[in-house]
Amino acid sequence: MPWQSPPGAGATVFIWSGYSLAERDRRWKAVRENAVKGGFDCILVPLGNGVDGRYMTQLRCSAVALPTDGRAPIIIADRSSRNDWVPEPWQTGREWAEPMGEALLDLGMHQSRIGVVGLKGGSVTHCNSIDGVVNHTALEQVKSKLPNARFDDATDVVGFVRYVKSQEEIGFVRRSAQVAEAALDELIKLARPGVDAGVLYSDVIARLLELRSEYYPLAVTIDPIGTTNPKRYTNPPLSKRLEKNILITNEVNAISGAQLTQVCQPILLGHIPSEWKPVIELQREVYEAGLELIKPGTAIGALRDFVNGFAAKQNMKTQIQMHGCGYGDDGPLLSSNFPGNHVSDLRIEKGNAFVWKPIAMSADERIQFTWGGPVLVTDRGSEPLFKRDHGMISII
Amino acid sequence: MESPADITWNGYSLAERDWRWQRVRNGAAKAGFDCTFVPLCVDGRNLHLSLEQARGTRSDCRFLTQLENGAVIMPTDGRKPIIISDQETGNDWVPERRPPDGSWGKAMAQALVDAGMERARIGVSGIRRGFYTHGRAFHGVVNHTSYAEVLQRLPNATFENATDIIGYARYVKSEEQIACLRRGAAIAAAGIEKMIELARPGMDEGILYSRVMQRMVSLGSEYYPMAFYSGLHGGRRLPRFEDPTEGRFLQPMYRIANEVDAVFGGLIAQEQQPIFLGPIPDAWKPAIEAQRDLYYAALERLKPGIPFAEFMNFVNSFGEKRGLKSLMLMHGRGYGDDGPLFTPQNRGARNRDVLIEKGNVFIVKPIVSSADGSFDTSWGGCVLVSESGGEPLVKRTPGMISIT
Repeated sequence: MPWQSPPGAGATVFIWSGYSLAERDRRWKAVRENAVKGGFDCILVPLGNGVDGRYMTQLRCSAVALPTDGRAPIIIADRSSRNDWVPEPWQTGREWAEPMGEALLDLGMHQSRIGVVGLKGGSVTHCNSIDGVVNHTALEQVKSKLPNARFDDATDVVGFVRYVKSQEEIGFVRRSAQVAEAALDELIKLARPGVDAGVLYSDVIARLLELRSEYYPLAVTIDPIGTTNPKRYTNPPLSKRLEKNILITNEVNAISGAQLTQVCQPILLGHIPSEWKPVIELQREVYEAGLELIKPGTAIGALRDFVNGFAAKQNMKTQIQMHGCGYGDDGPLLSSNFPGNHVSDLRIEKGNAFVWKPIAMSADERIQFTWGGPVLVTDRGSEPLFKRDHGMISII
Repeated sequence: MESPADITWNGYSLAERDWRWQRVRNGAAKAGFDCTFVPLCVDGRNLHLSLEQARGTRSDCRFLTQLENGAVIMPTDGRKPIIISDQETGNDWVPERRPPDGSWGKAMAQALVDAGMERARIGVSGIRRGFYTHGRAFHGVVNHTSYAEVLQRLPNATFENATDIIGYARYVKSEEQIACLRRGAAIAAAGIEKMIELARPGMDEGILYSRVMQRMVSLGSEYYPMAFYSGLHGGRRLPRFEDPTEGRFLQPMYRIANEVDAVFGGLIAQEQQPIFLGPIPDAWKPAIEAQRDLYYAALERLKPGIPFAEFMNFVNSFGEKRGLKSLMLMHGRGYGDDGPLFTPQNRGARNRDVLIEKGNVFIVKPIVSSADGSFDTSWGGCVLVSESGGEPLVKRTPGMISIT
């Protein structure tokens, strides 16, 4: 039975929710099709999996029970929120387990196989969350209400829908890339010796916000060039003023239309040392060569092996570094910590969008350089969505 | 105020760490737990019931380690805790960390075994809402898959809710924490001043939002989204935004409400200031004045040893004497989702027996509304509990700002 807003429900928080009803139907249909293939009777996006909840509903906070037989989903929301996609969700306050359980019972899932999205890290979503994102106590309570149902991981059911972007989504990925670039330009414009690093950080954040990016942390390191293990900041640095020969590495993230993208370009407040130049040049080569491989049909494992072996004969090293663009924690995630063995056979598809930023290193790994940004996979190959000259910015 | 480059604060001291850990151990010993366990918690971007709750998901870990993410096994007998974290760099508090190494569940279970807890009584923080922390998260904040694996791997151990063990340790602030909250409150007040400077009819609300956030971050605050409400008075509630809006411009006679938060030293301070873009209507003035008087009167009663039942009864009955309504709106300040929680949604009945203590810090922002409910107002800020009553952490004057 539907749940109504409880007395004293908190104020509705309005978030961006501009995708069309056709986009909603595309997503829901694709999720149902994947669920059928996976042998699920129903897909549950439970409390804890806020990112997939938003993908499925455009609501700030929601849980979703989507039967695979084509019936309408039951969606649970709070704070009296609703939108064009979900005009009449069940409403709750702070109690989520009871309505989630009731929704599954209302849908007749007493003895069904229920796919839980976000139970584990997936192939192309929740990649950093190796043990998933689901709230323990709420899920256990739901399970206790359906003792004869079976709950299995279905992270990839939604994940592989998110993996391929629609035209609507691609429009916002492009916009997001432009916003991230504008913020990187602001960083380059303002970074000078003597500048307060915390103020600089706030200026770049402000640029992102005034271009209407949703907030996502800006990540920077600000240390003298050559520093081993420079400190990474995701908030304004304290007690720090820029000086000559400071190297600023950055990950400038922007979110438009819920699509997260990132650009990065190191900035040096000084002349580029000659020993860095071959590494920077190598990064340009591996970036471009890798880009040639980012096209429909290429296996992720083949791309990884190509990049990681690229510099074998040059007495230097290269390392793949990439992840997906999208609602957050998109994959496939490939880095030194995430070799991606479980996605080696995964194929790149038209409509994928990645942040592509391989690393080049000296043989002793003392010098490391990365540069890159979002690229879109098309019929013809890959299209960089950011437009800037390759290399390290040198500010004299 | 100091610019970030001129701020010399460089993290909490080791003495502060030891003070926190000892408070947790003391609480665990009193409750009969062999160890206190902070498991992997869901990240705030995914478990996002509110700004406060989202920030609070991994707050116990931050409180105990100053790391953004990790699991903590703290034996009650005084042995050093085992920390599991996916963060690449540590800090002075926890120079040794174990990586999750592909499975948080496996790593946490092994750490419990290594600490000798195979048959122990283990107190789990964050498994359910508490009195002092995680009050908005009825179902707690713990990650399912990893925790379920821990339960499976330690079948002879007993796992019980211990949210209030760490919660109570967080409830009373040290001098170091109070200093950070004081700075945070001052930064939030500076954010409000920026809003007052810029809020004019015709102003793009998204730009206004950006400038207020810029001001606070430029003073060294971590980014914590401002809650911003705007619109004409009357009819439905004002819409709430937590990101810069598009296509919305302030208009004459708009009401603005806000929750302006600044984070320093990981602790969230909040100040709140209603604004009206026009002359304040006479009909609103009794409620605004009563709200001011209530705020000051409440501060006098915010003393150690007073149960919240007594304080709440005072606040909630204050309006009646003037033919108005009043309602308690306050909660703790700290690492996120601090309590006890008193809101229109959570009236706080379950907190009636909780005692106010010296060193508590609350956001105090009672609501006063007209008798017919057509107008209500809330103003408030951070208040420290001292022997003599509540002390605002930053000096501001209650009331509604009129911009004409």
